[in-house]
Parts: sequence; structure tokens; C-alpha cells
Amino acid sequence: MLKKLLHSRETTAIGFILLMFLGVGAINPAFLTADNIWLCLNSSVVYTVAAVGIALVIMTGEIDVSVGATLGMTAAMCGTMIRDGEPWAWAIGAAMAAGLLIGMINGFGVTVLRIPSIIMTLGMNGIVRGLIYVYTDGRWVENISFDFKILAQGRLWGAFTYFYLGALALIAAVHLLLTKTRKGRYLGAVGDNAGGAMLLGIPVNGAKWVSFALCGLLTAVGGVLYVSRVGFVTPIAGSGYEMKVIAACVLGGISLTGGVGSVIGAAVGAAIMASISRVLVFIGLSSTYDDTITGIFLIVIVVSDALIRRRAVERARRERLTAKTQHAAEAKG
Amino acid sequence: MNKLKKVFVRWESFLVVLIVLEMVIFGSINAKFLNITRLFNSLNQFIPICIISLFVTFVMITGGIDIQAGSIVGLTSIAVAVLWNDAGLNIFVASFIGIMAGMLCGALSGFFIAYTGVQPMVVTLGGSFLYSGLALAVTGLSSTEAYKGISNFPEAFRALSKSKLFDTVPTQFLIFLALVVISFILLHRTNYGRRVFLCGVNCNAAEFSGIHSRGIVMSTYILSGMSASVAGILLTAYLGTAKADMGSEYTLPIITAVVLGGTSNLGGSGGVIGTALAALTIGLLRIGLNLSGMATQYLDIPVGVLLVAVVAFRFAGTNPRLKKLFSRPKRAAAVAKNK
Repeated sequence: MLKKLLHSRETTAIGFILLMFLGVGAINPAFLTADNIWLCLNSSVVYTVAAVGIALVIMTGEIDVSVGATLGMTAAMCGTMIRDGEPWAWAIGAAMAAGLLIGMINGFGVTVLRIPSIIMTLGMNGIVRGLIYVYTDGRWVENISFDFKILAQGRLWGAFTYFYLGALALIAAVHLLLTKTRKGRYLGAVGDNAGGAMLLGIPVNGAKWVSFALCGLLTAVGGVLYVSRVGFVTPIAGSGYEMKVIAACVLGGISLTGGVGSVIGAAVGAAIMASISRVLVFIGLSSTYDDTITGIFLIVIVVSDALIRRRAVERARRERLTAKTQHAAEAKG
Repeated sequence: MNKLKKVFVRWESFLVVLIVLEMVIFGSINAKFLNITRLFNSLNQFIPICIISLFVTFVMITGGIDIQAGSIVGLTSIAVAVLWNDAGLNIFVASFIGIMAGMLCGALSGFFIAYTGVQPMVVTLGGSFLYSGLALAVTGLSSTEAYKGISNFPEAFRALSKSKLFDTVPTQFLIFLALVVISFILLHRTNYGRRVFLCGVNCNAAEFSGIHSRGIVMSTYILSGMSASVAGILLTAYLGTAKADMGSEYTLPIITAVVLGGTSNLGGSGGVIGTALAALTIGLLRIGLNLSGMATQYLDIPVGVLLVAVVAFRFAGTNPRLKKLFSRPKRAAAVAKNK
């Protein structure tokens, strides 16, 4: 059990975030107060939800870089409808429907039209970003009702916001879905070896399509949370989120080649991404270094991970070879 | 006849047709579009993207992807300006150092990609964060406030984009043409180019046939980093100001140009002529739509649609079910005829 835990991909990410918190805490003890830790985690909620969504797509070996625009579009829709006094359920429902639709179109392009996913979603990102300007007329969505914005502030026992608790429940649900159900395990299987999965009778394209649709849906959830947390929506809302969210997944140990990693890792990665700017403030650096540090973390973690893994593979191969030669020598002798 | 057919079937010919179509359509909507001076002036803004996409083609032919080029544009722009403004270097010496810096950025990412086997997408994603972050940090070194940008460059430097051949063709466009020729020779007429292709087709086979494939892969990223910094310098000279966030939204147009130009994102096939034509196609599309009255913010919609539609057109044939769907009526007709 312990061995399995040590070998799982999320362990590196969890260890890293603990190390980061403890290290910064050693420099500035104010960082390790409960209140600050809650703040770090709570502020990652939009990233977390979107990261779980994109993790599903990455798990199948594809990629979705339209997350940023989808998040902006759904946030703009939800924000506009709530501002105009529509019932909340309508606004949220419309945003989720839009996200689902964008995800379905992405899935259609990738599975039926056979467009490479990076190109399909890159194009989609441009299209949806343009549609945001059409929808909002290039104006900010402001004056969103206070009742909706206060939702993001509600906390259980002064710790986690209800949003983050919801996100945690979502992570648990998706994780169980991916690891314990038959259909859920299709996603990982498809990403690990699409050809093999097809031979086993797994609907490869169906699984991919579902993963894109779910990614759109979860991104829309992220968009709704964004409206409540931020309180206004600009036409460029969410731009750059796609890169941050992919980075979160990678930090969390999900391999872009598919089949490896879990949504728990994605959530941990999202927490790291969201904490970096706070960490910088606490160790006395300007938050303009945010991107620099993110880039360095990303490259260092991924490269060291690759080197460690390569070494492990080499060692295993050497052991296998020596065992073989020994066996041969014994048989001879 | 056969040769003629080959020319028509080529993807590049399709792009030429597309460009001509654009000329005709936009020219008939708005006669201003066909004003050569005006066209070149509008195209100037797009030249940096054209230049970068030429060399990102190299990267994509090896099977990689480069999403960091945009951030190198900003980094070079601000680094050159700070070296000139605050360190007091000659602007051309500063530009040279800027190009070196761009190559170094490319080399760093290329090294990790080639020698550690991490996916190119991940490394260049990290690179895009790193270099755009560094650009902000460099801005902090300057005495000028970040939001203003550094301007008032010497005339000799601005001449890089202001002077024109025969009073019509801007220097930038000439530099682009020169780079097209250089990259064409490099990719399609030299040993190096053949090796780049082979690395994309089958990296192991390339390694076994004695090609230093890792070095080749790394070199393509150095080339794309270099082209990004050249583009950054030209853009700075053209706009007359240097800012850290220049080029931050270049990723979509660059990848669009390369893929639209017929380079496979899986590596192994493609070419720079296609990329150059595709980049011009996109540039003309944006200018034309803008002149026809479409607001600049909306321009990503048609570019995105174009990208998806063209790639769908190319790849849909690989889906056996779709193929069947489209060939069924023909076959049915053939069967009916035979009976």
C-alpha cells in the first residue's frame, strides 16, 4: 500500500506543495496560518474545476486549449443573464449548455472530422473568443447582483468556501468514476493505448467525445464560479487560463501523452498554480515574477520527473538483463 | 500533362488560388484593398507572424510544437530597448544581443525537449511562462514605467521598417522574402533539411542511420527562437515602442499559418513555401475583412473557422465512415449502371 502510494504520480505534486508551504513558512511564519492556507486553496477553485475538466481530455491523449475562451464565454453568458434579472437557474443552465455545446463541437471535430485536437481547439479558442466580443459587444459585464457575488464568500466553519467544498466533492466523484466504474476506466485505457483499446472493443471515439463534452461542461461550471468570485466579466476574461490549467495538470503528474495521472493530481496542481502568486508576496518578491516562477517550476518538475523515470526504467532493464544472464549461466553450470 | 496535374494537386497551388480569390472578393467589396501601398502598410503588422511561422515549420516537421515564440518576441523587444535605453548600448549591438538571447531561449527549451524526452508542448508551455515572466522582470530594470513602454528609437533603427524599396515595398517585406528564400534552401536543398525531415518521420531510424537527431531537434528550436527575436526587433522598429507583452497573442496565428501551409502536426511532412503562402492568406483575410467593415476583435472568428475548415477538409478523408458516407452515392450509381 505504502509502496503503491510512493509510486503514484500525485505523490510528487503533493510532496511539492507541502515542501513549498513549509519552505515559505520557514521564511515567513505568517504564511503558515490556517487562514492563509484556506485562502490559497479557496482561491484555486476556478482553476481546480477547469483542471479536472481538461484532465479528462488529457487522460485520453488529446488536448483542449479552448478552455480559456469557453470559460470567458460561459462567464459572460452567466453574468449577463444574472445582471438582466433572469432566474439564476436559467443563467447557470444556459452557461452549462453553452460549455457542453462547445465541448461537443470540439469532440465532433476531433473524432468525426479527425482534426488533430490541438488544432481543433486552438481554432475553437479563436472562434469562441471572437463570439464573446459579439455577445458582450466588447463591453464589461458589470453590476451583477450582490446576492450572487456573496455566494463565493460563504464558508463552512470559517475554513473552506462552499465552492471549494463543492469542487472537492466533484473531484472525488470524478476520481471514483474514473477508477471504479467500467466506462470511466475507458478514458485512461484509450489514452494509454488507443489501438489496444479499440481491439478490446472499447468505443475509442465515443470515449474521446465524452471527455471533450465533459471538459466543456466542467469549464462552464468554472465560468459560473468565476462570475461569482470575480464579480465582473471582461471580454478577455479567462484568456491564458488554458495554459495555466494545462500547466496545473502537468504539475499534478498527468502526462500529456495520455493514460497517466489522476484528477486528484490535477487539483493539487491547480492549488500550486493558484498559490504561487501568494507565495511570492510572502517571501517579499514582486508578483510580477509570477510567470517566471511558474515557468521554472513547470520545467524543473517535468524534467526531473522524466529523468527519474528514465533512470528507473534503465535500472529495471539492467536488473532484468543480469537476472537473465545469471539464469543462463546457472543452467549451463 | 501529368506534371501539370501534379502542380494543381499540390497544396500550395490551392493556397495561391485562395489568395487570388481573396484579392478578387475583397477588391470588389472595397477598392482600397487593391491599393498596393496601403496593402503593404497593413501587412506590416502581420510580417512578424509570417517570419516566425517560417521557422516554427521546422519545429513542426520534427514532430514538435512551439508555443513559446510569442513570448520570445516580447522578451527580445523589451531586452533590446532596455539595453539601448538604460545600458547605453548602440541600438544595433543591442539588437544583436537580443537575437542571441532569443537563440539562447530556444536552445534552452530545445535542450530539454531533445535530451530529456519531455513532450515539446509541455516544455514550450513552461518556456512561454518563463520568457514572458522574464520580459516583465527586464521591464522592471528600466527607469521607464512599464505601461508606457520604451520609445524614441534612433532614426537608423526605425528605418528597418520605415524605408521602402521603390517607395512601395517596405523593408520588412523584403526581409520576409529573404528569409523565405533562406529557409527554403535550408529545409529543401541542404543535408540539414533532409535530416530535419527524417527526424520527423522516424527519430529512431534517423538515430540509427548516424544522424545526430537530438542535435537536429534542438537546432530547430534555436532557429525558431532566433526568428522570434528577429520578428520582435522588426515589430519594435515598426511600432516605435517596446513592451513586454508584445506578441503574446501570436500563438494562434502562428500555428494556424504552419498547419494551413500543409505541415503535418505529427511531423515528417510540410514545407516553408506553404507556410509563407498560408501566412499571407491569413494576413490578407484579416486586412480584407477589416476593410470590409468587420471590427478587429471579431477577426479571430474567421481565422479560427478557416483553420478548422481547412484541416477538416484535409483530415476528414482519414475517417473510414465519413469516406463511405460520401462515396456511397457514387458506388450505388456505378452498381446501377452495371446492371
